[in-house]
Amino acid sequence: MTELSAPFDISQPAISKHLKVLERAGLISRGRDAQRRPRRLEARPLAEANGWLESYRRYWEGNFGRLDAVLEELKGQKKRGRSKR
Amino acid sequence: MKDSGALKVTARSDREIVMTRVFEAPRNLVFDAYTKPELLKRWLGVFGGYSMPVCEVDLRVGGTYRFVWRGPDGAEMGVRGVYREVVRPERLVHTEKFDEAWYPGESLITTVLAEQGGKTTLTVTMRYESREARDAVLKSPMESGVAQSYDKLAELLAAGGAEKARR
Repeated sequence: MTELSAPFDISQPAISKHLKVLERAGLISRGRDAQRRPRRLEARPLAEANGWLESYRRYWEGNFGRLDAVLEELKGQKKRGRSKR
Repeated sequence: MKDSGALKVTARSDREIVMTRVFEAPRNLVFDAYTKPELLKRWLGVFGGYSMPVCEVDLRVGGTYRFVWRGPDGAEMGVRGVYREVVRPERLVHTEKFDEAWYPGESLITTVLAEQGGKTTLTVTMRYESREARDAVLKSPMESGVAQSYDKLAELLAAGGAEKARR
């Protein structure tokens, strides 16, 4: 706990509270040795949550990349239209 | 969440997905690209051999739209909905329902375009009927690469590698 709270500018009780939330969500687990209670990151659920958003985002990135090209063309048409007038 | 490119996608509340993206164009052009069939056909879902042979838009409150995509093997996917709000060039609200429902119920999609200095920030909020529906939309074959990299991170942390690396 001391090690985990060191990089953050918040109190140890606050860190403890955050850890409990993460633990309840299954995102970290708690180990045990003589003096310490090392926390372990449970990567699988995090990866799953990110995986969903990731593939969804990739689909829209593709759409918006094509939309960028369409918009460039429309901007060009607009300019040409204006210079004709 | 990583922010590669300018696109941000977040799952907000239990039933919503929110996307934001900045475009280097004034919003009337973005609005056109979102509502004119000849433009929609060129960017929305047309990749990997898919084209959009049917694209009909009746752009008025209570008007409907109908899109059908066709894949290289002839497979078709169709969607339809009703426009609830049409405020050119800043706001569009419409419903969405796929022919073959891959998520339960109907969703409500709000598209907002804000322009500043010739650039347009697009914010799309997709609201689903339930959390299950939203999750079905987000859920797709898991990216094994992502999972693997997280597994590696977990191993590293377990071995205390990250802690050592910080020192």
